[in-house]
Amino acid sequence: MPSEYEAFVAALKLTSTPVAEYGWKTRPEGAYYVVQLDFESGSMSADGVKQDRSWEGSLDLYYPKLTDGDELIEQTEELLTEFFGVSWSLNSTQYEQPTGLFHMEWVFEAMNDAEDPEEEAVIPDAVPDEG
Amino acid sequence: MPYQMKVDGMEEISETLSKLEERAPSVAAQGLYEGAAVMAAEIRKGAESIRTAPFKYAGGGESRLPSPEEKEIVVSAGAGIAKFDKNGAEVNTSVGYRASGYADLNGKKKPVPLIVNAINSGTSFMQKQPFIRKAASGAAPKAMQAIKERIEQSFEAITKEN
Repeated sequence: MPSEYEAFVAALKLTSTPVAEYGWKTRPEGAYYVVQLDFESGSMSADGVKQDRSWEGSLDLYYPKLTDGDELIEQTEELLTEFFGVSWSLNSTQYEQPTGLFHMEWVFEAMNDAEDPEEEAVIPDAVPDEG
Repeated sequence: MPYQMKVDGMEEISETLSKLEERAPSVAAQGLYEGAAVMAAEIRKGAESIRTAPFKYAGGGESRLPSPEEKEIVVSAGAGIAKFDKNGAEVNTSVGYRASGYADLNGKKKPVPLIVNAINSGTSFMQKQPFIRKAASGAAPKAMQAIKERIEQSFEAITKEN
């Protein structure tokens, strides 16, 4: 699992809005998040090994009508920017009639930690320099 | 005496070029149709991989998976290709379930796009399974390749006509 994503979920859990990964067993009252990694969106292979993998995930926010001055959406987007930079977008906004909840869906892309290629490419000197 | 050069076949080339310009919109539409078909096939394949669980009411704020009946509706509806929107040489379309109409679910008529949206995007009582987004991001390069191949074929055919 990408560490970027793990850090993002940890930061989400620090907010006052409840967070669940892969849905709720029992839905909480008021606003809440659902976050999950959806699928692998791309990968780069070299030397018969997958070197880099990118994952597409989504963050769903369900909330009843917001009151004036409630910055829930702004805070969410600030968090997304903090952890994913520019690789996120607002995918859809919906309204659920039976529950009266608003539903916003953001899609983001998280990369697996790549090993630093330069680090491996350093070849040690065959003859130690004897000064 | 000034240097002179005669080139044969310029007329044919200009004829071909004007033909290309004339037929560009239809060639683009043919290409787009191929690409849209690739995308629709991928979405249909995604619909078949939807996870299901026997239906039970998601009472008390519980979340549930789609029922096998709901999946059957989505699979049998199949993603379609919308009517092409032509604007000069620019052609646009969309692939999806928007025109899939209604289906019978437990004796009630329900709109198919609503069921698809509930599965694809999730609701407060349904777990999301974004099969359309997965197909769209996975099949985009394949669709582009199909469009490119079809357009190249058409252009080759037009230039060979002379």
